[in-house]
Amino acid sequence: MPAIPEIEALVIESVRMLAEDFEVEVLKKPNRESLLYGEGGPLDSMALVNLIADVEEAVSEKFGASIALADERAMSAKKSPFRCVASLSEAIAERMPS
Amino acid sequence: MKTIVITGTRKGIGKSLADHYLAEGWQVAGCSRGESSINHANYRHFSLDVSDEVGVVGMARALKGDFGRVDALLNNAGIASMNHALLMPAETVNRILSTNVTGTFLFCREMAKLMRSSKAGRIVNFTTVAHPLNLEGEAIYAASKAAVESLTRILARELADLGTTVNAIGPTPIDTDLIRGVPEEKMNALIQRQAIQRMGEVHDVINAVDFYLRPESNFITGQVLYLGGVT
Repeated sequence: MPAIPEIEALVIESVRMLAEDFEVEVLKKPNRESLLYGEGGPLDSMALVNLIADVEEAVSEKFGASIALADERAMSAKKSPFRCVASLSEAIAERMPS
Repeated sequence: MKTIVITGTRKGIGKSLADHYLAEGWQVAGCSRGESSINHANYRHFSLDVSDEVGVVGMARALKGDFGRVDALLNNAGIASMNHALLMPAETVNRILSTNVTGTFLFCREMAKLMRSSKAGRIVNFTTVAHPLNLEGEAIYAASKAAVESLTRILARELADLGTTVNAIGPTPIDTDLIRGVPEEKMNALIQRQAIQRMGEVHDVINAVDFYLRPESNFITGQVLYLGGVT
């Protein structure tokens, strides 16, 4: 399984590319603390859907793993995994096959 | 060169659609549970079950690698099994729902991701006149296609922001394997209920699909078009 910093780098790159496409100024230079979705997060629901699809695709291409991020666990979690770059990276790590 | 994905290309309408779009200069990616029956430089075949998530995701990944994007999807693959409701085994029910509903959904989901970059994707789903005509003996087939119609209308809204249109076509009976087991008197009675009383032809389907795929049809989404004047 890839290390967390490696996963975070993948998420940061996906967020950066999405921010260019959707013209989200505050996310054009993202870091692990960058807020994504929810209170204070700059992404709307459509941008989030695109980001999740991009990240799943990138995980498949880079790590050869097919994961589903918007699963029932994510939907019922008290703290949304889509809140920031770090939480999204953790969610990816949790879903990577061991 | 534009890329179109067509499910169920080994025979019937799917094969005719593939032949048509190859002749029109498209790159065609097709699939069926068996081997390919099409031999053309611009045709790529995938042997898979449309309801197998791993197989469909794998096909999408391969298409992204080879062509970068997908421009259109024709969700043609479908199965039917005519039977009285009192005699319909659950196994057959699940098989029909799995191919017609899950299969259509999986292809919509995966190919819509590959249509995002063009902002001009086209999805055409396949329904049937058995649904609006409430045909006896087709309860599960018609119900599965009712689900496809609902899927079409909702995905039309969900994918509108991505520039992808989602529509459906509902052919009348056409002389293919799908209706081979239907008795002649049943078929004649069905055709009597159409405004234009004849069997459908493959070119009728192609004509409607061509209309949905045109760039000028970018303001048409969430629609179900029945052939033969069925409403």
